[in-house]
Amino acid sequence: MSSVKSPALTSTDQDALQSAVIEVCENAYFVFVEACDAPQFAALVDQVRAEKGRGPSGRWLNASVAFHGASIGEVEVVLPERLGTWLVVSLLGLPPDAVLKDNQLLDGVGEFANMVCGAWLSKANETASFTLDMPKVSRMPAGWTPDSAPSGDAQAYRTVVVNDLPLEVRAR
Amino acid sequence: MQTNSSETAGMTPLNVLIVDDSATMRALLYRVVGLADLPIGAIYQAPNGAEALRLLETHDIQAVFTDVNMPVMNGMELLREMAARDEWRDILRVIISTDGSRLRREEARELKVSLYVEKPFRPEVVRDVLCQIASVDVH
Repeated sequence: MSSVKSPALTSTDQDALQSAVIEVCENAYFVFVEACDAPQFAALVDQVRAEKGRGPSGRWLNASVAFHGASIGEVEVVLPERLGTWLVVSLLGLPPDAVLKDNQLLDGVGEFANMVCGAWLSKANETASFTLDMPKVSRMPAGWTPDSAPSGDAQAYRTVVVNDLPLEVRAR
Repeated sequence: MQTNSSETAGMTPLNVLIVDDSATMRALLYRVVGLADLPIGAIYQAPNGAEALRLLETHDIQAVFTDVNMPVMNGMELLREMAARDEWRDILRVIISTDGSRLRREEARELKVSLYVEKPFRPEVVRDVLCQIASVDVH
């Protein structure tokens, strides 16, 4: 990321990050989001890890969207591949057992992160205009799991449950 | 590009152009536009403004739904190009974007954008937009 950082975020900004995830999930995906604390998140991560080997569900996806304008930063969403698949299938109104092509999955998860970033910026700063870069989506290595704790440079961090699966979002 | 066979008697089918770099969003908008109870003719798709211009040059299009942030040529650049062309003055312009800032909305108004829809949106919002377009311009 650029050396120019976003201005320090307040607790209101952190709440805005969670509100952004809720807004995107409820408006575009018709699914409710629940907040979860670190132990709950860790338990859900363990559950996903236990599913390893059963289809794509054991792998995690990382989608990040960089933004610039009144400030510069990045929003990052980390979620199990199974949740990513569910989100794309749900958004497109496909049958629940639909098999996505890899580019469909990655593009759809990128769009999810794009919407979360845009919704968060709108909430965090209603007057400023931002430009969002193209989302970057990658599949994490087999066996990788999130730390269930904010990394040192994350200025806002939230863990939530979407459709009974864990999702982590951070902004820096 | 595909066509929607449903037609409402007495209304001219509306040819729609969807411009978004995300194939997922194009697929979503395609589905939502197709679900509208309106006479939709052709639904064209473009991943950026440059490709959209090429389609506008070669097809008869009545409504453009465009994203803002796109590679090659973004949505605002596309709208500026459209505003400069007199033959496209009657095309309805709708922005669908994550950027709902006041600055961007003001810029859009200056570029003759009829409606500004913020992502995330409920599908019925786009359906309602199409109904507004139809009630004003297609009858």
